[in-house]
Amino acid sequence: MNPYRSTLFQRIGFGETLTVALIALTFLVPAFATNPIVFSVTNQVLVASTAAFSVYIMLRMNLLTFAVPTFMALGGYTVAIFGLRFGVTDVVLLAALAFVVPALFALPLGALVLRLRGVYFVLVTFVLTEITQLVLFETPGLSGGSNGLVGIPIVTFFGIPLADNRAVLEVTIGLALVAALVTAALTVRFRQHFAAIEENELLAQSLGLVVWHYKALGFVVAAGVSGLAGFALVNMLLMAHPSSFNPLSSVNYIAYAIIGGKGSMLGPVVGATVLVFASDLFAIKGEYSQFLFGFLLVTVVLVARDGIVGTIRRWICRSARTSSEDRKAAVPLAVASEGRS
Amino acid sequence: MEGLVATGLIGISLGAQYALLALGFTLIFGILGVVNFAHGGFYVLGGYIAYATTTHLGAPYPVAVVIAALGTAGLGYVFERFLLERLVDDHLATLMLTLGLYLMMSSGILVVFGPESPSFEFPITGVLRGGGFYFPLQNLIVLAVCIVAIVTLYWLVYHTDFGRALRALADDRAVAAAQGLRPKLLFPLAFALATGLAGLTGALVTPILSLAPHIGDPVLATSFLIVILGGLGSVGGATVAAFIVGLIEAYSAVYLGGSKGALALFTLVLLMLVIRPSGLFGREARGA
Repeated sequence: MNPYRSTLFQRIGFGETLTVALIALTFLVPAFATNPIVFSVTNQVLVASTAAFSVYIMLRMNLLTFAVPTFMALGGYTVAIFGLRFGVTDVVLLAALAFVVPALFALPLGALVLRLRGVYFVLVTFVLTEITQLVLFETPGLSGGSNGLVGIPIVTFFGIPLADNRAVLEVTIGLALVAALVTAALTVRFRQHFAAIEENELLAQSLGLVVWHYKALGFVVAAGVSGLAGFALVNMLLMAHPSSFNPLSSVNYIAYAIIGGKGSMLGPVVGATVLVFASDLFAIKGEYSQFLFGFLLVTVVLVARDGIVGTIRRWICRSARTSSEDRKAAVPLAVASEGRS
Repeated sequence: MEGLVATGLIGISLGAQYALLALGFTLIFGILGVVNFAHGGFYVLGGYIAYATTTHLGAPYPVAVVIAALGTAGLGYVFERFLLERLVDDHLATLMLTLGLYLMMSSGILVVFGPESPSFEFPITGVLRGGGFYFPLQNLIVLAVCIVAIVTLYWLVYHTDFGRALRALADDRAVAAAQGLRPKLLFPLAFALATGLAGLTGALVTPILSLAPHIGDPVLATSFLIVILGGLGSVGGATVAAFIVGLIEAYSAVYLGGSKGALALFTLVLLMLVIRPSGLFGREARGA
């Protein structure tokens, strides 16, 4: 086998394919399940995964973003305002708006904040989420202030109203699927560019990579993906309220991506699934789940830097290597299955 | 006119509290290069330790304040020495660690003390009257203690060998270590000093404002504001910025109402970060 020729599957990557497939498979939930709790948990997992994709995209460039709630709010409020003021209910049009408005907003913002790196970028995005909250409270005319926006009209798909639990979940799945496809397309197409920026930005620049192009692109797409998550959240709750986008909720999205594993696109999904299920186990005492999040964050940073997915992959690679050494195989399975290296 | 003066006094006493908080935060960043997301958590913990020692152990309030400061300093020491120290050069990893610690601390407090805010009153009440304006006595005491603490901290940082060693490590760790300074010994102490200051502020201020498990969030946000405004890692900048923020908050609360003042402050800080990351006065302590 020629090692320089990769199949399409290898080029797209195992993690990306599996992620998209897994999200597409959740269409089975509204098709077969009847339990409203299952609906609710699936909804939460998918919104969380979508928001965590946004963190994942920025981590490709070694930037930790707290700004996810800001762009989620932009997407969510855009949908609410277009629904209430202009009577727009078509889900495709609303999804496009929920992606484009935060993305357009991120473009000038990115020009300002992407010059910062490391800790300064973290701080500026954290400050952004605080500003978002204050702006929401201070503009009651547009955003409904502390009451939020309620009574948003039900979204429609080519005229069919998507009103019941099942339909709302289908909208969330659709949005998560679009977000996953966009994230996969971006991170696969520009894998090397992002990796170069992550590894050594200065070196990448001196080798001729126009770094700010890719950083701006990543930031804008991450904003759009967050916007989709905001749409899903608003559609699920039937209202847009400042508390849905509170500054410290960004910590959760970061926790999903880091605990799940920032090395693979599967990480945010696994992290979101595990942590949303875990916090549901605490049931009424939901606040206590924060302890678990904190404990897992510390554990991952100290002993398993690649998160759940990265650690499992290392185990598989190790056992694969031992067995392939037994068989004296020429191609290491790790490289063949990953296609990354 | 009296209103202006009285509001100014409130602003100054707010500024003194903020200065104590922000000084700890900026010390940790300046010396260790760590953004301490758990800073608000240490403030809350300080408040709860003081509350528990006065109500459950019956200790007098000043003793409780000292115990709170020592307790939070001890926890800070242990955390730095055994967890943070391993990854101290990795900005994002240390950020995650302190974030994790913050989540654990605030939910730990929630489990132990419950979600309701306990009744924790300042032992001295009364109002100072003079020249037509009023100033609560408790704010005056807090202001005095804060100023003493700030002066002591300045003395510690600028006039003792310990302070010189810390500043040398902040300046250039490799050179300082080559001269014989031991980061492994000094970093935990510096971290403990900073978290102790947060705990002290918590013990002093929470009986006046309020005590609840989640009050750490706004404290963290305010510390961020001040430290960015004053220049990350700059001790003098943080002190001046704390008083500026305190005065702006006091005046905007009285004359503008709502959160317009906070919005203006945050926007100012955002612009500051973008245009001049080194802050109002400082030179850049660490490369962005």
